[in-house]
Amino acid sequence: MSRLLVEALAVAAKDLRTEFRTRVALNALGLFALTVLAAVSYTVGPYRITAEDRPFLLAVLLWIVIFFAALAGLDRSFVKEEESHTAPLLRLAASPTAVWLGKLGFNLVLIYFLMAILVPLYCILMGYKIQLVGGFALILVSGGYALAVITTIVAAIIARALTRGALFSVLSLPLLLPLLIFLIQGTAGAADGTAETVTSTLRAVLSMGGIMTIVSAMLFPVVWAD
Amino acid sequence: MRVADILKWLLFAWTAVVIVSAFFYVRPAEGFIGESSRIVFFHVPMAWIAVLAFLVSCITSVMYLKRRDPKDDIRASVSAGLGLLFAVLATTTGAVFARIMWNSYWNWDPRQTSITILLLIYAAYLALRGAIDDPERRASLSAVYAILAFVTVPFLVFVVPRIYWSLHPDTIINTRGSNEFDSRYTQVLMASLVGFTGLYIWLYTIGCRIEAIRQRRRQEVL
Repeated sequence: MSRLLVEALAVAAKDLRTEFRTRVALNALGLFALTVLAAVSYTVGPYRITAEDRPFLLAVLLWIVIFFAALAGLDRSFVKEEESHTAPLLRLAASPTAVWLGKLGFNLVLIYFLMAILVPLYCILMGYKIQLVGGFALILVSGGYALAVITTIVAAIIARALTRGALFSVLSLPLLLPLLIFLIQGTAGAADGTAETVTSTLRAVLSMGGIMTIVSAMLFPVVWAD
Repeated sequence: MRVADILKWLLFAWTAVVIVSAFFYVRPAEGFIGESSRIVFFHVPMAWIAVLAFLVSCITSVMYLKRRDPKDDIRASVSAGLGLLFAVLATTTGAVFARIMWNSYWNWDPRQTSITILLLIYAAYLALRGAIDDPERRASLSAVYAILAFVTVPFLVFVVPRIYWSLHPDTIINTRGSNEFDSRYTQVLMASLVGFTGLYIWLYTIGCRIEAIRQRRRQEVL
């Protein structure tokens, strides 16, 4: 168990080191998010949506920006291994589960980094007031986790296929759509202070994230070995 | 006459009786405009077959990963294709019902949203199959995706429609307004479910045979 953790941490640390060297995924994620945020803020702004519609519509825009930014960069973790032909070496160096955990850890760092910058900026620029801040934070953390789990296994699949870039969005988005629906509803609930909606959303998101974690951990060795 | 031929004729007769019964044996349910409630005898079995086909696709994908038998991969892809077809039919019949009842073919009701996402997921599965050249890699990666896809089915079929308010009628329609099916409705609906399941099995068998022949021919050409 400890060896698994050491290997997983080594994989995640290697990915973070190479990422900070080139910043391909960070640039893709960050610049995409900031550009879309600027476009949304300029065209919609804080006052164009009526007070009644604000909790829901601003939640929709927030999660669309996060999801599409994630899709712009989260496939890098596996695609770069295939492109630089380092995947065979990684197969020798670490167990499949450690590689999956390490890549998941790397994607988690990326997505939380994106959220840490994007969400406060979004709330300031769009004037998005959240009544249940704790519930909102929990939704962000659990949503980010489920998003990272699903995109990690899909990234592993598309890295072994042709036309990788287009395929990542095609395969990820339908799997992510139920999650997107839950998160939008929960965020709107946190914004207008409906604790019940936040709780039911957290239940749905955590169960989806949990099931996807178990299934991904079981299936990843097949994807990685074939 | 072979057993398969007898079963085919039996299925034809069964389906014919179900169609006639759907229009003449039961009365239109109360609370529904005109004859619209009769669509339940076709819409519900189509949705059931779509979920059954996706389940078969998931099970055969698991079997492929365990046994590495190419026939399991064929079974999974054929079943996913049939599931997609029946999901499209269920969506279409649902839209026709929505037009009669609520004067709109499409209103993003949670159940309409769920079935649209399911359609997208299985269309993505077929897109993945088209993007991998190596047959073994295609089989194993699409098996993994089919299993991931099926994991979302309970969320789409059970969670989304229950969390959000829906116009979709309960799975129960009757003439008395109590929480039970009218007995004639139950009889015809159950018979229709059996008939559609038979139809699915028949289409699935033909699909698997055609795909096996196609693969054999491809190997001969190579």
